[in-house]
Amino acid sequence: MGTSMQRLLLLLLIFAIPLAGWAEDAATTADTDAAAASQAATEEEDDLFLFEDEEELDVWDPIEPVNRGIFWVNDKLYFYLMKPVARGYRRVPEPWRVSVKNFFSNLATPIRFINSGLQGKFSDAGNELTRFIVNTTIGIGGFFDTAKDHFNVRMKDEDTGQTFGHYGLGPGPYLVLPILGPSNLRDGIGLFIDSRMDLLYYISEGRKYYGLKAYDKVNDLSLDKDTYEGIKKDALDPYLFVRDAFLQYRQNKVEN
Amino acid sequence: MLKQISNLLFFVAMLSAFAAFAEATPSPTDEVRASVDAVIALLKDDQLDRDSRREKMRVVINDRFDFRAMSQRTLATNWKKASDTEKQQFTDLFAQLIQNSYVSKIESYTNETVEYPGEKLKGRKAVVNTLIITSSAEIPVNYRVYLKNGKWRVYDVIIEGVSLISNYRSSYQQIVKKDGFPGLLARMEAKIKELENAPPESG
Repeated sequence: MGTSMQRLLLLLLIFAIPLAGWAEDAATTADTDAAAASQAATEEEDDLFLFEDEEELDVWDPIEPVNRGIFWVNDKLYFYLMKPVARGYRRVPEPWRVSVKNFFSNLATPIRFINSGLQGKFSDAGNELTRFIVNTTIGIGGFFDTAKDHFNVRMKDEDTGQTFGHYGLGPGPYLVLPILGPSNLRDGIGLFIDSRMDLLYYISEGRKYYGLKAYDKVNDLSLDKDTYEGIKKDALDPYLFVRDAFLQYRQNKVEN
Repeated sequence: MLKQISNLLFFVAMLSAFAAFAEATPSPTDEVRASVDAVIALLKDDQLDRDSRREKMRVVINDRFDFRAMSQRTLATNWKKASDTEKQQFTDLFAQLIQNSYVSKIESYTNETVEYPGEKLKGRKAVVNTLIITSSAEIPVNYRVYLKNGKWRVYDVIIEGVSLISNYRSSYQQIVKKDGFPGLLARMEAKIKELENAPPESG
């Protein structure tokens, strides 16, 4: 564990320098785009004042063909393996599935606690600690979100990728990870670190760990309202839609 | 004395003007809520079949969403380059696509409640925050609205931090870059045909 952490830190140092550079490049192109948009606004009719609060999204996808390949494989995995399993699993009553989600989420508390703390969000960190204590005890091992339901202490999603972003690290290149789906270099590394802060990693190992992870994922999918099906149906190019939605979603998380 | 009367008159005039103003500009949250409630009422109406429900929803959505403003924002610089007929064509197609995706999305939320935690008002623009509460999650959905002819109209929907318009914009820009504006319109048309012929969703 100790050595793998050190290796990771070294890896991070190597990546940190080029990442900082990318962030800068992306920012300058965004600036010129924004300037072009605002110039267009002055020449256009009345409603273009709406452009003022335009947020520009930095998209950097240097290995798009590779990403599209993995996206295609994930798509098939989703429709022919994970979704059918999740659909069958939907026979399990929903309250139970919500409890399973609560249980896994409770085990993942250290991810949110540590990262809230690292970003100086101490009241959020305090909330996470309170939630963990309340939900583990009164919420019977985390199966019930008593902290939210009875004390109105709500979860706030924080993770290592957001901490990196909080300190100015750009997202880096967009990556589609096998099975795990859309990510980027920053958040992909974050995801790996997060998994080592998850208590699940320490109470199960090897095959059992991956089995539980898979169960967690299927359980989440069973609660999802077919988001991906909707995107596949509506979007002209689902790959672009997922990529841009993911990058916006993460940018928003970093800012909040 | 005369001066006092004129002061009083002035005051009354100001007051009634203010009252008229207050009446003319309803709160953005109230207006968005009225539309959302209308859509939810349609969802819960068992008497309606799928097609007539969708038709009625479209009327509600059309009344609240400003598809021309949305189209402008989506196309950004490409809007400027487009001809008037192209603009109109795009707006019509885009409206159909957004309606479709909004309606099919909202159809999957049947037993959920919607909360209105607040709004942010800034001149002619506002953001209305809503929270869709499901059994397993709380999904923040924010509506960007602006005042047009005394009515708050939606020009963007932000779901969990993802702006619908920004999202369409970057995808569409790529398509325009690759296939040109006519190429984009053709793809949108094909998509709408595909959606119309799609069987009703299950599971």
